[in-house]
Amino acid sequence: MDFLTALHVSGSGLSAERTRVNLASSNLANAETTRGANGKPYQRLDPVFQSIHMGAQDEAPTVGQSPLGVQVSQIVSDPSPGKMVYSPGHPDADPNGFVTFPNVNPISEIVNLLSASRAFEANATAVETLKTMATRGLDITR
Amino acid sequence: MRVFDNTLARLERALDVRLVRQNVLSANVANVDTPGFKPKDVDFTATMAAIDGAAHGEGGVALPTPPSLSGTEQGSSGLAARDLPIVDVPAGGASFDGNTVDLDRTMVAMAENALQYGASAKAAGKKLAILRYVVSDGQG
Amino acid sequence: MNLRIESSQGLAEAGGMNQIDRMDRAIVNPGGADKSAQFGSELGKAIGEIDKLQGAADTQADAVARGAGNIHEMALALEKADVAMRLAMRVRNKLVDTYNEIMRMGI
Repeated sequence: MDFLTALHVSGSGLSAERTRVNLASSNLANAETTRGANGKPYQRLDPVFQSIHMGAQDEAPTVGQSPLGVQVSQIVSDPSPGKMVYSPGHPDADPNGFVTFPNVNPISEIVNLLSASRAFEANATAVETLKTMATRGLDITR
Repeated sequence: MRVFDNTLARLERALDVRLVRQNVLSANVANVDTPGFKPKDVDFTATMAAIDGAAHGEGGVALPTPPSLSGTEQGSSGLAARDLPIVDVPAGGASFDGNTVDLDRTMVAMAENALQYGASAKAAGKKLAILRYVVSDGQG
Repeated sequence: MNLRIESSQGLAEAGGMNQIDRMDRAIVNPGGADKSAQFGSELGKAIGEIDKLQGAADTQADAVARGAGNIHEMALALEKADVAMRLAMRVRNKLVDTYNEIMRMGI
């Protein structure tokens, strides 16, 4: 394990959290989208995080022991039903006058956003810490 | 009195172990939101004690000679995880998705690890600087 | 690269400086003609060890240049090679001075 590997690990964390932020933003932006690209109300999206090994190639025999980074293995849409609101004049109202709004709860999306931001900051701090360590290591030579 | 003594060797070992620990802690931070992830850590004091034990022939963890001493053709990417005891961190409390990473504790541990790494590097650098001064007859 | 660090003595052997300690003692206690061969071989061994340290430093520097290296190991290897080479130069200078001194003594 060396500096490069640690950088890649933190980089993977930054990437994954950024994806989470993007998805939360997208959910918030589409909180009222009653007709999405497929003609149906917008369904909120969630990232699925998964650990991946990030060792160097020559550590392949002990790949089970290399440090774990993270990746977004898939983005799933939340199948839960949205709110039904009675609004007969709405262009997307069904025959009974109900409009289906997206299953987005702005408050939980904002909580998601904050949590992802915090994790992003933590990974960024990890990168800074590693840079400091590398500088100290180099300072061994005069 | 040897030129490159045991203290220097121990400092080098400390640097290697601290670097592995930094990797492990960075992995914990990267996976703070991964469901089911269990954080890991390196027990630094126990590892160094085991290394000291090996150096005095008492068994314990036997490590490859540091590359700065061995002079072989192989390059090195530092100690591999297989050489060190990496243990799971006991969970501090309940978790709803199986992830037991305590971000704040991990960041504190990371700060401490980096600080100690810097201290060991400084000590090693200073020892070598003293040697260099003596060997150069007081000139540079 | 799987030497077991079994004793501090072994560590110094690997560090190459033990050779120079022995060589140093050979200079201080010359003890006769048969010792000159011993001194010569000690010198040769010591130079070999210093060369090994230089090689180790090169290996580390190469690894960093390729992008696969470990920063503190490279720094340590370079420093040790530096110290070893300076020590070797001092010993060499001392030997040359001693030789010149002896030549100046005349018959």
